[in-house]
Formats: sequence, structure tokens, C-alpha cells
Amino acid sequence: MDNEIYRLPRERLDSLIERLARDYRVVGPVKQGATWMWTDVRPGMPLALDYPTTMLPPRQFFAPMRETLFRYHRGDDGRFAFEEPAGERPFALLGVHGCDLTALRVLRAFHESSCRDRLVPGRLDRSFVMGLACWTPCLPESFCRDMGSLESESPASLYVWDIGGVLLVKVQTARGREIMRDVGALDAATPDELVALRKRLRTRPEAFPAQLQFAPEKLATSLKAAESDILWEATADRCLSCGRCNLVCPTCTCFDVGDQASLSGGDGTRTRSWTGCQVPGFSRVAGGHDFRPGRAQQLRYRIFRKGKYMPERYGMVGCTGCGRCATHCPTHISIREIFLQVGRAP
Amino acid sequence: MPQVSMIPEACRILAVTPHNSRDIHFVVEAPKQGFTPEPGQFVMVSLPGIGEAPFSLAALPGEGTAEGTFEMLIRRIGRLTNLITQLKAGDVLYVRGPYGRRVEWDQFEESNLILLAGGLGLAPLRSFVRRALGRRDRFGRIDLLVGARSPDELLFRTDLLVWASRQDDVHVHLTVDAAREGWDGRIGVITSLLDGLAVDTAGTTAFLCGPPVMYRHCLRRLLAMGLYEHNLWLTLERRMKCGLGLCGNCQVDGHYLCSEGPLVSYREVRHLRDVV
Repeated sequence: MDNEIYRLPRERLDSLIERLARDYRVVGPVKQGATWMWTDVRPGMPLALDYPTTMLPPRQFFAPMRETLFRYHRGDDGRFAFEEPAGERPFALLGVHGCDLTALRVLRAFHESSCRDRLVPGRLDRSFVMGLACWTPCLPESFCRDMGSLESESPASLYVWDIGGVLLVKVQTARGREIMRDVGALDAATPDELVALRKRLRTRPEAFPAQLQFAPEKLATSLKAAESDILWEATADRCLSCGRCNLVCPTCTCFDVGDQASLSGGDGTRTRSWTGCQVPGFSRVAGGHDFRPGRAQQLRYRIFRKGKYMPERYGMVGCTGCGRCATHCPTHISIREIFLQVGRAP
Repeated sequence: MPQVSMIPEACRILAVTPHNSRDIHFVVEAPKQGFTPEPGQFVMVSLPGIGEAPFSLAALPGEGTAEGTFEMLIRRIGRLTNLITQLKAGDVLYVRGPYGRRVEWDQFEESNLILLAGGLGLAPLRSFVRRALGRRDRFGRIDLLVGARSPDELLFRTDLLVWASRQDDVHVHLTVDAAREGWDGRIGVITSLLDGLAVDTAGTTAFLCGPPVMYRHCLRRLLAMGLYEHNLWLTLERRMKCGLGLCGNCQVDGHYLCSEGPLVSYREVRHLRDVV
């Protein structure tokens, strides 16, 4: 399948969406106001294949911001009975960048190793992903090339290069080929088109200047030398503990569990919803003691989790270099700058 | 890896005994399937519409309490526990578990045991004491060190009296931080109970559970006495939300204490940050 690269004329995107809509809920990046958001798409809608990343990462489709674990209702005997929600329609995600593809692999590695979740891996299994190559950095804070995610093409069934004019699509799974066949897009790319693609790929790194000057594999050891509180205080002083970095991160997985009761109290739902290590009270226990009470400890924790604990436990660095956290931080705390500082240290 | 649902089971409360105005002792019907906890494991208890929280086990099924039941001591400290502590025998709690690492007790056999319980820490350690007394011939000397803020806050007094009467089996040492007239026992912090305790350092295992402030002082003291790091066992409290190693609230340096703990040896965690 490695060399199966086909042509997809731009106007055929609609047939692709139509075909996918038979089996999936199709979402893709659509410009809404000044930003791009993952939006349900229908044929005829303008799919933004040149979007500079979305604010919220695709994990929202695999681990929703709030999801029902079960419904409860009080029976005639006064006891509560429980019912898990029915499975939902699987997603097809169109136009996923390398950083977010990498993040989907991180999500899988996490959910299949230390823990016993079935919801997220189940959705990863059932979904359909079309990856999309980037030609320029999405954000000033992006450093995907340094983190090795720029070239990431897995786990996409189809992977698209927009070389102007026609789209070139690499088929990476049997399912991907089936979809391409159904939309009648199994014309091989022409030699000229492949030459054009190769040329763009060769010059692409120039658009992504190296920002870290060290391999991400070195992060774990570099961070080990940066444990002292005092190193983190200057940066953490700016932190407002708003938790935006956690919300926009494509690899954050932490959640809170809570009940939403009806006013009668007789029924309701228990849900899990996103939370994060930067939110005050995250590490607080009953009685009020907080094991990571300071912002320096909390910031260090976030950075260590991404750069050290995750690679050590799941075999993948937890930062894809997407640049979202720094972009959306109200005080511009940049994970790239922090990595740069710890990596530069002798 | 098994896939675990977060749906709880309705479990009937069989008995309710207040220990004081805020600490209430519950005997509860155990979940029907696979409820065979080891000391140090915990359950998630909820009231639908109110919420869910982790609680330690003050007695394990068939170990000082009837088969098919377990016990908890619940302190009235928040919204959920305010409501739970108003429940009566016959009412229902929603329980899932047990969760947490299963620490095998074979490794402690022939060892002397020191159990250090501060305040509510006696609740989980009670199941440790019962496990040890239930197999008394397999262990050396057993010392139970209990600290409380005041005599009024001493928990499990009946157990303490029973254990104190079994001096051949277990040595009970009590201390309180402060007392009014009428208390003729010791006043001082829990580490003071270690003074004058004759300890065979290589052959002694210690279990600690108490308020966060207790751990550092006790650890320093036990290490100074010569106990080995791998023989110091801590039960580490965190606010677990799922119990499955997933929600992240109990993380310490990437370790999920709800499944890799809460019972851990000091050697396993001494290099981690923000542990105690």
C-alpha cells in the first residue's frame, strides 16, 4: 500500500464526504469567524484544507469534553438502576495534521497501557481518519518538525497532499482503498504530479526552521536535571491557573467525574468531563491538603508529564509541537521555550 | 487488560455506629461478584446525583466481620459524606471495587510489624491489624501506634480495648496531641511512641497511614532507627475519580496511585516528587 498514491480532483471532495456520510458522522476544519473549528461537514461546505490548526484538538471526538458514563433512575423499590448509553455513530475526521495524527497515536498508547478504558480505544478503532500534509507552520508557536510529528502520516486511512490543482491521496489501509474506489478516485498520480510532490516535500523543511536543536528523545534526561522548584517559579509566576493549556492539548487525558441530577433527584447522568493538572484543586484531597499546591509544581508537572513521564511509560513524547497551549495561554507560557531552556542546559 | 465499567452496585447498609459527632462506622453488604480485597485496597462509593469518592476498607469480608460484608469509617467532611453519614441501616450505598494494587501478604510473614495510624489512618490500618491477628503465628512482634488529636477523637475504641487486652498478640500504644484533665495516657506526637521501642531493624515492616503531615516525620524517624526502605509501607491518599488508572487525579510522577497504589513501599516512591 506504500506506493498507492491516487489523484483526487478537488471537486470530488464532495463525493468523498457523501460516501463517508453513509457510515460516519463526518467532521472537518471549517472557518467560523476568525478561527477554524472541527465542524460537521456536508457536501458543498467549504472544507478548509489550508487551515492553520483548530483551537480544540481532535481528541474531543474520542474523549468528549463531557460524556455520559451511565444514566441512573430510581426504580419502584427506591433503588437506582443504571444504564450505559448506546454506542454512537463513528466519526470520520477529514484533514487531520501530522501533530494531531501523532496525538491520536499517543491517546491509543495511553489508553491501551496503564489503564482499562474501552471508550477511547473503541472510538479510535471505529473512526475513519484522513490526514493532511502541512506546508507551512500553523502557528508561530508550532514546532512540530522538531517533535517529529510534521511527517506523521499514521493512523490515517487516507493521507492527502494538496499540491495545488489536484489533491494527491495516499491509501494507507484497506478501508481507505475501499472508500477511494467507491468515489471512483483510483487514478494513479501522474509522474509529473509525483515529481511535483517530491519537490515540495524536499523543500518543505525550509518552511519549518529547527527550533529546539536537540532530539525530543533527549527531553526525559534534560528534564531530570531541571527538577528544582526555583527553576520553575519565574515562569509559573505568570500562570493564571486557567487550565487552557490542558483544554487545548491534543494529548491531555485527565477527567473529572460528576453527577448531573434532574431536579426531582430521581434520575440523571454520571459523566466524565475534561479537567487538568493546571486547574486549582486538581491534586487536592479531602480535608484540603494539596500535594502540588504551587503553580511552579503544577507547571513542572505538566511539562514533566509531556516530556518525561509519557515517553517513559507509553513510549511516546506527550507533546506533538502543535503550539496550541502557548498560543492560547493568556500569559504566553510557551512549552517550546521551556523545552529549549532545559535542552540547552549542559 | 480487563475492561471495567464504572457502574456501581447497590449495597445495603447493615449497621451504622457513630464513633463521634463526625466519624461514622458503616457495615455494608459487599458487591456480589469478585469482592476479595487485600488490605490497602479501596472502594468507590457514591450516591447517584450527589457524587462519588474513594474510601478505604476498615474491615475485609470474613476478617473480623461477616463474609459478604465490609466496613468503612466515613468522616463528615463534604457534600457526599454529609449525606452518607445521615444514612441508616437498611439504606443503600452504591459501591464499585475493590480498586488498588493487591499487595501480597506472604512477603510480610515472619516479620515484626509496626503499624502507625494517625487519626483516620486507623480506618484502613484496622484491616491490616485484623489480617495480622487472623494469622498471628506467621508474624513476629506486632506494635500498633495510634495518634489522635484528642482523647475524644480516638477512633475504634472497642477494637483498641480488645487489642489492648491481647498483650501477647499486639502491643497497643496511644498518644494524643492535647488532652483535658482526666486523660492519664501519653501526650505527644505519634513519633514519640517510637521512643524506647526495641526494634529488630532488619526484620521489621512498618505500615503508615495518617494525615499528610505525619508521613515525613515518621519516615525520617523510622529510617533513622534503621528500618529498611523496602520495609516501610505507606498508604498514599489521593482524590481518585475513576479507580481505573485513567482520570489522572491520583498521578504522582506519571504513576497512577489508584492502581499502582495506594499502598506502596518507600523504596518504590522515594525518588518521586510530591509524594508526601
